[in-house]
Amino acid sequence: MDKHLLDYNLKVRLPIILFVVIAVFAVTYYSTYAERNGIGYSPEQPVKFSHKLHAGSMQIDCKYCHTGVDKSRNASIPSVDICMNCHTLARKDRPEIQKLTDYYEKNRPLEWKRIHKVPDFVYFNHSAHVNKGIDCANCHGDVKQMEVVGQVNSFTMGACLACHRKPETKISNYEEIKGSLKKGPEYCVACHR
Amino acid sequence: MKGDKLEDKDNKKDVNYWRGFRELKNDPEFLEAKKNEFAEELPLDSNEPGMSGLSRRKFLTLLASSAALAATACSDYRDKGAIVPYNRKPEEVTVGAPSFYASTCTSCANACGILVRTREGRPIKIDGNPDHPVNKGKICATGQASILDLYEPSRIKDAMLKSGAGFIASNWADADAKIIDELKKTAASGKEIAVITHTVNSPSLKILFEDFSAKYNTAKFYSYELINDTNKFSAFKKSFGREGLPVIDWKEAKVIVSLESDFLGKEGNPVESMRLYAESRDVMKKDGEFNRLYVVEGGFSVTGANSDYRIRLRTDAIEEFVYALIAAAGENKSDINGLISKYNLKKEAALSLVEDLLANKGKAIVLAGNALPESTHIAVNKLNDILGNTKLYSKESFDAPVMPLTPREEIEALISRMNSGSVGMVIHFDTNPVYHFSSDYKYPDALKKAGMVITMSEQINETAELSNYALGISHNFEGWGDFKPRTGVYSLQQPVIAPLYKTRQKEAALLNWMTDNPGNYHENDYMNYIKTNWEKGVYGAAGAKSDFKNFWFNSLHDGVVLFNEKTDGTFSFKNEAFMPAPAFRASSDAVVILNKSAFLGDGRYANNGWLQEIPNPISKVVWDNYAAVSPAYAEKLGVKTNDLVEITTGGRTLKAAVFVQPGMADDVVAMDLGYGRTGAGVIGNGVGFNSIELIQKNPKLSDRLYADGKITKAGGTYELITTQEQYPIDHERYNDIHFKREVIREGVYEEYKEKPNFLKEEKGETALFNIVPSYEFTTTKWAMSIDLNKCVGCNYCVAACNVENNIPVVGKEQVGKHRHMMWLRIDRYYGGKSDDPKVSFQPMLCQHCDNAPCENVCPVAATNHSPDGLNQMAYNRCVGTRYCSNNCPYKVRRFNYFNFRNNLADGYYEQTSLSLMHNPEVTVRSRGVMEKCTFCVQRIMDERQHATQEGRPLDGDRVRTACQDACPTNAIVFGDLTKKDSEIVKHRNHELGYHVLEEINVRPNVTYIAKLRNIKPEKKS
Repeated sequence: MDKHLLDYNLKVRLPIILFVVIAVFAVTYYSTYAERNGIGYSPEQPVKFSHKLHAGSMQIDCKYCHTGVDKSRNASIPSVDICMNCHTLARKDRPEIQKLTDYYEKNRPLEWKRIHKVPDFVYFNHSAHVNKGIDCANCHGDVKQMEVVGQVNSFTMGACLACHRKPETKISNYEEIKGSLKKGPEYCVACHR
Repeated sequence: MKGDKLEDKDNKKDVNYWRGFRELKNDPEFLEAKKNEFAEELPLDSNEPGMSGLSRRKFLTLLASSAALAATACSDYRDKGAIVPYNRKPEEVTVGAPSFYASTCTSCANACGILVRTREGRPIKIDGNPDHPVNKGKICATGQASILDLYEPSRIKDAMLKSGAGFIASNWADADAKIIDELKKTAASGKEIAVITHTVNSPSLKILFEDFSAKYNTAKFYSYELINDTNKFSAFKKSFGREGLPVIDWKEAKVIVSLESDFLGKEGNPVESMRLYAESRDVMKKDGEFNRLYVVEGGFSVTGANSDYRIRLRTDAIEEFVYALIAAAGENKSDINGLISKYNLKKEAALSLVEDLLANKGKAIVLAGNALPESTHIAVNKLNDILGNTKLYSKESFDAPVMPLTPREEIEALISRMNSGSVGMVIHFDTNPVYHFSSDYKYPDALKKAGMVITMSEQINETAELSNYALGISHNFEGWGDFKPRTGVYSLQQPVIAPLYKTRQKEAALLNWMTDNPGNYHENDYMNYIKTNWEKGVYGAAGAKSDFKNFWFNSLHDGVVLFNEKTDGTFSFKNEAFMPAPAFRASSDAVVILNKSAFLGDGRYANNGWLQEIPNPISKVVWDNYAAVSPAYAEKLGVKTNDLVEITTGGRTLKAAVFVQPGMADDVVAMDLGYGRTGAGVIGNGVGFNSIELIQKNPKLSDRLYADGKITKAGGTYELITTQEQYPIDHERYNDIHFKREVIREGVYEEYKEKPNFLKEEKGETALFNIVPSYEFTTTKWAMSIDLNKCVGCNYCVAACNVENNIPVVGKEQVGKHRHMMWLRIDRYYGGKSDDPKVSFQPMLCQHCDNAPCENVCPVAATNHSPDGLNQMAYNRCVGTRYCSNNCPYKVRRFNYFNFRNNLADGYYEQTSLSLMHNPEVTVRSRGVMEKCTFCVQRIMDERQHATQEGRPLDGDRVRTACQDACPTNAIVFGDLTKKDSEIVKHRNHELGYHVLEEINVRPNVTYIAKLRNIKPEKKS
């Protein structure tokens, strides 16, 4: 009788249990993969700034606000005084602009929620990419159409390498810039030091 | 058991110990209680009335699990924190890119120009200012590490008021009010206000002192230095009638004779003299001729280690040697021959010295060390005059002090006035005389009688502890200043960060005490004061064509102003200063010589962990000073390294640990000053022995040299830690092992001239076996070259590497376990015999081998090769097997056995202020990972970024590693080997170039240029 039970356990119960466990794990892993990488993360910001309005309808160049993007490693979130270049005059009646003005006048720090992030041991350089003509949208998505900015691509090492290995498949404006584009480096110290 | 014995108490059979009267009197309750180990039941199950049924353990379990639940359930796991931009961004800041500010280093009196690299407003690295005419873009180890002092957690953060044994935080407004009140009262009562300062080399500070004593007419200013050139100055004044010291025209010096003068390490401005000395040791210059360096010394200095000929002579006999040279200059060689036999000098070296001096009249220079007595300096001046060597004194520039140091007698008079109660106030202007002054002065006792004592300092030091007020002053990088290091040179100091704490710069505090409205203090007060002075003085003298505002901003930008200032270029020796040779007596007493510490200055930087951990250039001892004696003398005394001895001179004794130093003169004991501090802080307290205790008030020879020493074995030992073990030099197997293994390869200058290819010929061609297929580097290949002719072993590169690459301080104990973390070290090898060794220095860092043995053994491929020739290290992949370190033939890999920042002194270096100091371009490594030199990959990447930005190809010559930037002699060259016309290719293909351990065929990318000694070739007879 013992033998039968063991048989039953080994041949039926164990595979079923294993299958269920692995299946649950796999389904969970794949279904939450994007979310775990931060895709779809679009938190509420302290000031309701619309990229769709500024970058989309009004066609303000990304570099007007993100001043560091072609000069330094950091694209840099614009300092409040850049907003105030226009908003000292423009749309002073809107509550969000009044909120912004309040930050500026009281010299309070404006804490934007961080959306895109690579780990601290990765030294990503915006300038090196932007100066090669790679469009911002390749990584950040079509920000010009976003009312609230969210993450659309994953920022994993796999994502970096996918583009460094086969830029032609990943870069939307590849044909325009391929003349000056070299294959991105794949060695460790290019990003980790 | 014990209770039983108590019965026999009166029989006195056994000695009884009792813990209290109840035990002594055999209280039955007590005896009962004694049987139980614990006084009460452990509250494992709570049945106390009034308490809940929850036991402590259950409570903690629930607390922990609910906290864990809360942490996982309630936190937004997608939250990535916030980005906080500037509200109003300063125009010059680009986030992620450094800004540079020209300023002046205040670490010592040399006032070198510096360039401070800041990131987002935080200073992170110091380099020399290339526009500064004296230090030309280089800065010493102490200056580089001074950045640590800015972020030092134990800085005084406000004005502190003495209360009982300690201090309580006060504030500047209260302190100002009380101090000004006291100043007024003291001045009115006619009592003295004594301001004690270090060397004053700032013209504006001099004016400030004058203004201050105009306002408070009893104010007097005293300046002192523990390590001073007083004897040199006074001798020069007596000899040539000039206040100051001449600048030497090193380029013209064919023969340099140093008498106990460590000009390549501690004397004058070593940053400058090293550079100029090494310019005449350049094998890349086809027509350049080598100078020849003779060193006569009792101790063993870096200069001695670099000499072509070194003569060991007890320091008190150097004067006799100089008189013999003077006689030899008059064609009388009997004295020198007599000396050779009297002190058993190296004959061929001494005779060659005389011969060279006579053959190179007007092209040689004799230098005397600042520890030597005045009479020796006068004799040396006389010798230089006879030989016409005063021609080498520069005609354009001269080092004249802005304010000379106060003579010893005046300091003594001040102290006796303090004792008699006629000094109403003492202001220590960032000085620490309680530690620095000879104990003969009994300065702490005098302070008690001096009325109000104010100490301005960055930390609560020995003097501040005895003061009524300890006022926190700003660091160099938080204040303004101007300096005049040399004729025709003014340099400016500007703040690169707002004061981190409520500190004021000391000059501004003094200025504020002169105003009627001290409440109106502003950080820029002293800047405005300097500006006013400059508008009146420097602006006119510089003959600027722009208006003052432009001139000022240009000067701030450059950090230095040069103007045409004439100096008297004639030096005529006053013969009345020169005394005929006194009667020299042979002495068998020990000579005690007290030297400046290699990196701690006069002890000011004792709390700087980086400086404590950079090994002494010669002995490689870290975190300590010691009594250095020669091997023969140690044998005579019956001591060995680590034994404690008592050094006695002039009735005072000091116990110190012995370090047997090959190459010292016999009967000489050398010690470094600046150790054994009690008020330095957590890091520096109790490190080493306080050799200031040996300094006398009125020394016979000089305050740092005593000829009447007695040394006795004291019993006991003290552990000294070295980073390079002493090997038995005289043992047949180890003798010259570095030459036999061709780690160090050397030649003789004259022979090289005849046979430039001697190095390659010596070696011959050997086919080397390769286990991996070779890789063709096509785009870029990084490589370094180190010229051992120029490397003097100063360790400045080590300091630069530490700062640039966030290297942690590990502490003495961990260094003792060979766990120091420095990526770059200077190996020091002794060749020849142990009593008179030949020293070779070799900077050793990761060689970035093409066939790197470390890469083959990493089980997780954390270390591997990049296509531009770097041996790369991915920290987040490393699992810490240490196989790579095991397999590295150069032993340059370092393992984080701990999170060292947390490990040292209860996490002293993990405090928040220090994290501001880290270079944001380099990962701060934690426990369990391997690390090593990266060839400053962050700087390579920076150049890559700039090349892309400017749309040009990568230029290897624009990449400069931190060690290369710091090297005062430009011995280090870095670049891209694929660029055929670059400096690095020239160096790599040079006929003197070799690689360490070539025969194992790892193909290193660091080329060493073999050292040539400028000794006379042996006459073949």
